[in-house]
Amino acid sequence: MVYPGIYQKSQAVEKMTGGKTKRSLPLYMTAILFIFLSLPAAAQSAEDCLTCHEDKDLQSEAGKPMFVDRARFEGSIHGQAGISCLDCHADLGKVSDFPHDSPLKPVSCGECHGAALRQFAGSIHQASNEKGTSRITVGCKDCHGTHGILPKDDFDSETFAINLPATCEKCHLEKVPSKKGAGFIGGYNQSAHFKALEKSGLTMSANCSNCHGAHDIKGVADPLSLVSRKNIIKTCGTCHVGIQKSYLEGVHGIDYVKGIKDVPVCTDCHSEHDILSAEDINSKVYSTQVAQVCSRCHDDIALGRQYGFLTSRLKTFNESFHGTAARFGETRVANCASCHGFHDIRASADPKSSIHKENLPATCGKCHPGASRHFAEGRVHSAPEQIETAKYRASHVVKEVYIFIIAAIIAVMLVFISADFLRRILRKEKRG
Amino acid sequence: MVNPPLIRDEEVFLRMNLAERIQHWLLITTFFLLIVTGLPLFFYDVKFFRWLLPTGQSFYVRGIIHRIAAVLMIANLIWHLFYAALTRRGRQNFREMIPRWKDIKDAVGLFGYNVGLTRFLHGRGIGQKFFQKHPFWLFERHPLYGRYNFVEKFEYWALGWGTFVMIFSGFFMWNVELSLRLFPLWVHDIFIIIHGYEAILAFLAVIVWHMYNVHLSPEVFPMSKVWLTGKITGRELRELHPLEFERILEERRKILSTEAI
Repeated sequence: MVYPGIYQKSQAVEKMTGGKTKRSLPLYMTAILFIFLSLPAAAQSAEDCLTCHEDKDLQSEAGKPMFVDRARFEGSIHGQAGISCLDCHADLGKVSDFPHDSPLKPVSCGECHGAALRQFAGSIHQASNEKGTSRITVGCKDCHGTHGILPKDDFDSETFAINLPATCEKCHLEKVPSKKGAGFIGGYNQSAHFKALEKSGLTMSANCSNCHGAHDIKGVADPLSLVSRKNIIKTCGTCHVGIQKSYLEGVHGIDYVKGIKDVPVCTDCHSEHDILSAEDINSKVYSTQVAQVCSRCHDDIALGRQYGFLTSRLKTFNESFHGTAARFGETRVANCASCHGFHDIRASADPKSSIHKENLPATCGKCHPGASRHFAEGRVHSAPEQIETAKYRASHVVKEVYIFIIAAIIAVMLVFISADFLRRILRKEKRG
Repeated sequence: MVNPPLIRDEEVFLRMNLAERIQHWLLITTFFLLIVTGLPLFFYDVKFFRWLLPTGQSFYVRGIIHRIAAVLMIANLIWHLFYAALTRRGRQNFREMIPRWKDIKDAVGLFGYNVGLTRFLHGRGIGQKFFQKHPFWLFERHPLYGRYNFVEKFEYWALGWGTFVMIFSGFFMWNVELSLRLFPLWVHDIFIIIHGYEAILAFLAVIVWHMYNVHLSPEVFPMSKVWLTGKITGRELRELHPLEFERILEERRKILSTEAI
């Protein structure tokens, strides 16, 4: 049965109200509240609202479910604090005719949560709302929920550390994909961070908001974004404090502080959402893979010239036993990081560098017990033109000589064999 | 009446006895294993080797097999050295293997004979005086070989030299720590280069030279069976090793004549 108002009530509500909408009780209650609690005018109690809204099948004319779960509301942070329906749905206070017209105005959380609202006003979500080009708008309720809002340290809260990824992914998995591709954000679900959250329940592991911020979330291109180049080191360093410290001591960190744009930050080597443990075979910095990552820059001739570092790193490394074995998946051989270190990589001229001449015996000695000074008397994976000391080029000279000898010997053999064939052909012709 | 020939075409001679054949078989096996397990290091991006060694573990096993094959090859070499030194036949063969001035002349002679340029010039009346004085350069006849021709001698000594180089460099690659206790890194780098390129040389030489001479050469195609049976016929002996043939013939004539007396 359709009421003259907006609501379509279910049988259950009809039975409960005897088919009529009670108007006297809410008014009466309002009067009591007005008198005893000195609250603003015409307030309805939660009980009143739930009379209708507790009906699971209650729908607006547009077909939107209008059900309010009493238990959830009462268990919510707002319910617990004794905040009533009208505190949020303030425009309901002016309504005297029930069932009331729908829809009500969107709830303005900022009335109480002013700071959060101000932060939100500067966010990419709000910017997108204002631009109005996307059919999706984002408000408080999209992340926090509505009647059942729980504090973020509650296991069931939408913004509880373990639950937050799923909350953000409601939109960002498919509806609002990243410009970096469809799987870019979903990659987080394979990451070490998510594994720590989900499998190990480590709530201190990074979820979306730890890196991106919450209310004031910004686009990565925005310098104020927590994940911008300018801030990413600090952001990762929030948890990885020791790593931030050691990064800033290495060549990369020193140049980063100088504002050099080409220097790698955390995400350049570790990737972004799908960060894996270095022990994970799929990690970009897994022992057999890391050479690919380093050589992205360190085989770039233009960068090498600009910043004065050696290139041909990957080729010369691959040619060494370490590199070759790594290409076949052998993990026990040295990779870039084994000798050069990782976060605090230093130039070989730096006395603190693991590949400084004085430190090479110790560095090589990690795998080659008893490594002597002899380990430093040569060049590890260098192209011949990169070697200044003549005798260190000896193996390259030997190589050239060998190539010449091989070519000469094989050529002579082939000429010999060709002459043999020639004679046979001529002989056959003569006979024929 | 025609006397029956002292060496009949069908008569069978033993060119490689069982010990020699086993040495050769062992050599083939270990050489092949060493090549297969060594080349991946040189051609690390070749698809076949990536397929052959799909994981880090298989790569590790490759190294083990390489070392086992190396030890076997060295054992085979030691056996061969003792065999060559301590047995009558071994000593005889070894003496035949010693390179002589004739081998160089044979090599030049065979090439000159096959090309036939000087014969052609002579036929046209060019350089008559020179050729009269030095008939060798006319290359009128195919050189005549003894038990081992220059091709075989070259292979034998190339193998000997190659094995020595590979064992020496390989030993220090196997014992990196020892090597770098004795030598600076740049010397060790030379060992690595030598080991790799000597292997390539050996591999190519075997493919080109040995395969041609014992497989593809029209006289023996598709394959000389000496390495399996060890046997060679009187006819093959006459054609391929005429000087050895002559020597045996001479020996028999002598026996015959002493018997006649």
